[in-house]
Amino acid sequence: MIHWMVYASFAIVLWGVNGLFMKLGTNRISARSMVIWVTAGFVVLLPFMWMTTTLSGLSAGIIFVGLIAGAVNGLGNWAVFACLEKGAKASVATPLTALYPLCTVALATAFLKERPTALQWLGIALAVAAGAMLSYEPAPVTAPEEQLHCVQ
Amino acid sequence: MQTERWHFPVWLWYALLCIFWWGLWGFLSKIGSAAASPMQMQILFTLGMLPVALGMLLPMRGKLDRNRGGVTYGLLCGIATGLGTLGYFAALREQNASVVTPLTGVFPVLTVVLAFVVLRERLNKVQMGGMLLALASIVILSI
Repeated sequence: MIHWMVYASFAIVLWGVNGLFMKLGTNRISARSMVIWVTAGFVVLLPFMWMTTTLSGLSAGIIFVGLIAGAVNGLGNWAVFACLEKGAKASVATPLTALYPLCTVALATAFLKERPTALQWLGIALAVAAGAMLSYEPAPVTAPEEQLHCVQ
Repeated sequence: MQTERWHFPVWLWYALLCIFWWGLWGFLSKIGSAAASPMQMQILFTLGMLPVALGMLLPMRGKLDRNRGGVTYGLLCGIATGLGTLGYFAALREQNASVVTPLTGVFPVLTVVLAFVVLRERLNKVQMGGMLLALASIVILSI
């Protein structure tokens, strides 16, 4: 039997490499096109998943929630590709967007009346600080004398 | 001469938008997974992504980018994410989510290392500190 760590490592490697593929892809094609090709990549795996399970037994409500979740996931994909397309580094965009559980916790607190634990509050505080620090990119500002030189 | 002054880059708006959409995805997944198995949810996610892809294709009027490298990386993104998720689910069958999820949450480290080596990206000291804090928060929020 394969140890669970092997499966977890498999996930880490593929998701980690995916961050690189996203940047390499958006260097070549538009964010919109990336969404389409990435969705095609997901569809490739669909027959394999259908072989292992079916959707029978699921209520219409749960199916609807799952489909909407897929749609917002697709919109998230578009946003991260647009982020990379607009010049974000893969090494900044990937850890920054991986902070999305912050939003999930906020939504669960607001709509499911879940109360964050003390540890989760610490995670939230760290996430906010991390987001601010990751997005810190000083803009190069040309000195006045250099601007004058350019005009001349 | 360069002086350091912070500005709000355009890409950051998209990053925040991504955090919102993926955060909403996490929230809906939480609701759906109460009744559906992870594999069933993954099928629904894939089917749910199709209208979005179609919505992206329509305004392009069929002029889909066909750059060979871009298409390859796009397809690989989908396959790598999907297979990685299947690996994650397989690990969940044998170990608690409170162990597997924080562990797999460190995947951005690999992206940062690969971006350093392959893309020659360099983080400034503030961003490096931010990445370490992000990792700590990802692990904590996944528990």
